[in-house]
Amino acid sequence: MPLDNVVFWVFAPLSVATAIGMIVVRNAVHAALFLVVNFFTIAVMYLLLDAPFLFAVQIVVYAGAIMVLFLFVIMLLGVDRGDAPGERLLGQRTTAVILAVAIVAELATAIRAGIGFTTRAPGGFDAVNPGGNPSALADVLFRDYFFPFEVTSILLIVAAVAAMVLALRRSKSLSQREIETHAGDDLEAYGLAAPGAPGTVGEPSR
Amino acid sequence: MLTEYLPIVAMAVLAVAFGVASLVVSRMFRPHRPNPVKLSPYECGNDPVRLPRGERFSVKFYVVAMLFIIFDIEIIFLFPWAVRFRQLGLFGLVEMAFFIGLVFVAYIYVWRAGGLDWATSVEAPADADLASDSPRDPMAAADEELAAAMHDAEVAGAR
Amino acid sequence: MDWVGWAILVVRVAIVFFGLLISVMLYIWMERKVIADMQTRVGPLRAGPRGVLITLADGIKLFFKEGITPTAADHPVYAVAPILAMFPGFLAFCVIPFGTSVTLFGREIPFQLADLNIGILWILAMTSLSVYGVVLAGWSSGSNYPLLGAVRSSAQMISYEVGMGLALVAVLMYSGTLRMSELIAAQDTVWNVIPQFPAFVVFLIGAIAETNRPPFDLAEAESELVAGFHTEYSGIKFAMFYLGEYVSTVTVAAVAVTLFLGGWRGWWPFDGAVAWIGPLLWFVLKITAVIYVLILVRATLPRMRYDRLMNFGWKVLIPFGLVWVMITGVVVVLPQEYGNRGRYIAGAVIVGAAALATLVAPLFSHRPASEAEPGGQPEGREVRA
Repeated sequence: MPLDNVVFWVFAPLSVATAIGMIVVRNAVHAALFLVVNFFTIAVMYLLLDAPFLFAVQIVVYAGAIMVLFLFVIMLLGVDRGDAPGERLLGQRTTAVILAVAIVAELATAIRAGIGFTTRAPGGFDAVNPGGNPSALADVLFRDYFFPFEVTSILLIVAAVAAMVLALRRSKSLSQREIETHAGDDLEAYGLAAPGAPGTVGEPSR
Repeated sequence: MLTEYLPIVAMAVLAVAFGVASLVVSRMFRPHRPNPVKLSPYECGNDPVRLPRGERFSVKFYVVAMLFIIFDIEIIFLFPWAVRFRQLGLFGLVEMAFFIGLVFVAYIYVWRAGGLDWATSVEAPADADLASDSPRDPMAAADEELAAAMHDAEVAGAR
Repeated sequence: MDWVGWAILVVRVAIVFFGLLISVMLYIWMERKVIADMQTRVGPLRAGPRGVLITLADGIKLFFKEGITPTAADHPVYAVAPILAMFPGFLAFCVIPFGTSVTLFGREIPFQLADLNIGILWILAMTSLSVYGVVLAGWSSGSNYPLLGAVRSSAQMISYEVGMGLALVAVLMYSGTLRMSELIAAQDTVWNVIPQFPAFVVFLIGAIAETNRPPFDLAEAESELVAGFHTEYSGIKFAMFYLGEYVSTVTVAAVAVTLFLGGWRGWWPFDGAVAWIGPLLWFVLKITAVIYVLILVRATLPRMRYDRLMNFGWKVLIPFGLVWVMITGVVVVLPQEYGNRGRYIAGAVIVGAAALATLVAPLFSHRPASEAEPGGQPEGREVRA
């Protein structure tokens, strides 16, 4: 079908371009924006593969939720408008290159194995999706794979606990130290409270 | 399959074109007389004290965003289940109740740990152990320091 | 598709787009008139008969106003943010059926732009994108008030999106389909608002918070944040935020009508040559009614304090939404599995769960038990406080 090809050749280069843009751009928020567009193009790819449910999930969860978290973290850490910081962790670049090569190899193998080392495209999406994609997915997910599904909730619990532990530890030890050591000079500089302390900026005014 | 998305694409193109066109056309007709005061960040007529460069925010916003992701994923799981739960029957119901229950445990933990409280130290002064948990109000701490310094200076001056 | 098909597509999209623009114009006028009435003022009067063209006049004025880009602004993002704020409302409206269909040139043209098989999810997806206009506008302005407003408001929007999503799930369980046209067909006899009234209330509260309307307009709390995320915007860019806000309001009202109020269905049978007018009129009438309720809420309630807003969203709306989803599940599945006996079991399960919740609820309050809020009564209590 030609429409499929048109859509693919519009969105695939866009996808690659935004991915490169995300890495190349120095400003953290700009990089995040490139990533949003990239997520969106990936969503369109799911649509091309007859997976409309995944298309919506990709937009809702990745473009909608996870990127908002990224933006918050960027603002939280105050690294926006970033002049690129130097290499903070030693040997990060070499590790990154090795890992990148590894993941490319892994993905290539997985894809080759997945399509069975043939050049024929897998078919029959309509056959496995009777009554629409979401309900077919529900049958598989909630009958055949109900145990992994339940385990997912454990993952969510871990995420919640981790977030709280990070947040609480930060507010108890780190910021307390920051307040004690820097409160004076920050006040002189800004006439306001120390940055990094919980409850300084964005706190509800009362 | 894809053709049913065509109107949405057309709408997106139209909306963006409308936005860009009105920006561009408006630029041609509107006055452009900038001056430094006009272009400075708005602070109610005062000179801006500081710009939000490297601004830091309360960690609560991070907690909220994290919780939002957790619940968003839960809702995403609920959607296909809701379409199909009549066919899945009692098994599906118990399964989902279990799932929601487990996520609820996380929710209760965050609630009890104070992650959902936006005004703890002021709202609940009666709750003693909670008040001691929360960090000192940085403004108050700074005020005290400032007051002490001024007092010292005054004493020195009097001498 | 041949060229006629393409032409029809373009014309349909254009009609919906400009129809939305005109409806926004009229609803803004209506809001100003109704609020003026409630405050014993006259409201807009000069532009057009009874001031109906006031929005157009405002738009023209803003179009010719100087646009200011602050020195500290991030230029590309600053320019893109208003457009980003505008389009989710338009895109979400694409899946709303606003009438039956009409036959032109021997083709049946449905009064719905795209009948997606993931209709409700598409609305949720667009809602989740609407946060970007706000957060980017605030960040790119390079100024303090917008940044504070943006972070606050985005936290508010994501919090209430969860409640809204849970309301959508409850409706979905009841109707059993994601497709908007089937959803309306499922409300043939009884509108969803009757069996799903709690979900309707949760949805409306979530929708008001999503669109940053009063009493949840913390994004632009004038008394503390000047104008929130769009403080630094002027001229046509500000007009776009304004437009986006009201397009979202119309879209949200349209979603409420479609999910809960039977969509374009009405009682008055129209037939003959103008068969499509009746449903369309019903749709417009219902949207107007929902928007009137939103205006009433705005005129009645004072703006909420931020900590109360977040507390209400996380501690009341979300647990209640989850409980309501489970109640809907129990009520539907148990009778289906066990017949009439299932009804009693369902009743027993719900009463037992409610009793348990009442016992457990005081544990979640940091306040003394005498002031503790029972966890299960969300509607409007906190809002009125």
